[in-house]
Amino acid sequence: MYTRIKDLRKEKKLSQEDLALAVGTTRQTITSIETGKYIASLPLAYKIAHYFGLTIEEVFDLSEYE
Amino acid sequence: MNEETNKTIEKYKKTLTIRICLLSVLMLFAVLLGIFHTFYLPAKLMTSEIFSFQCGIIIGLGLMSLILIIRYSQILPDNTALQKQYNKENDERMKAIRAKAGMPILLITSVLMIVAGILIGYLNICVFYTLIAAAFCQLLMGCIVKFIFIKKS
Repeated sequence: MYTRIKDLRKEKKLSQEDLALAVGTTRQTITSIETGKYIASLPLAYKIAHYFGLTIEEVFDLSEYE
Repeated sequence: MNEETNKTIEKYKKTLTIRICLLSVLMLFAVLLGIFHTFYLPAKLMTSEIFSFQCGIIIGLGLMSLILIIRYSQILPDNTALQKQYNKENDERMKAIRAKAGMPILLITSVLMIVAGILIGYLNICVFYTLIAAAFCQLLMGCIVKFIFIKKS
């Protein structure tokens, strides 16, 4: 699944470690989500989107499920 | 850090303190067994393979306990390190991988097989070897599957 997390992180000059700490997960999980290897659960997706002040749809590309 | 995170970290601190206490008991037991093994071991048990295996396992667990106690003691005063460790233990991706690899049931059955092997070993050495080999193969398979899923996701 495509996500905008990497771009949003770069905009905010955040490392994967910082984001992981803020949303309560590990750096490896953030890497896997960014590369599309792992699909985040609804609570984690919400936490990530909420952290950037966006909605889930704005961060995660859900078009393949429509 | 928000209030909810602070509460979680405080709770986790208590959990780690309890873990340190339990691991200290295990380590103490390993040290006592080590002393017994070195100075007071009866000649009858000297040649017992099962008893040596038991001692080896308990001393190994003791060493592991020591490493964990040191690690937890280093983490306890640092809130960021605590949160990282908490996140690591409760990471949803790792939880999913562990579940796919059959944990913790695989671990529980392996430990039960080792305990059963040690007990039955006093009666039949062949069954002891079979059970221990099966338990280790089971654990090895679990580790391989876990490693594959870590690479995949």
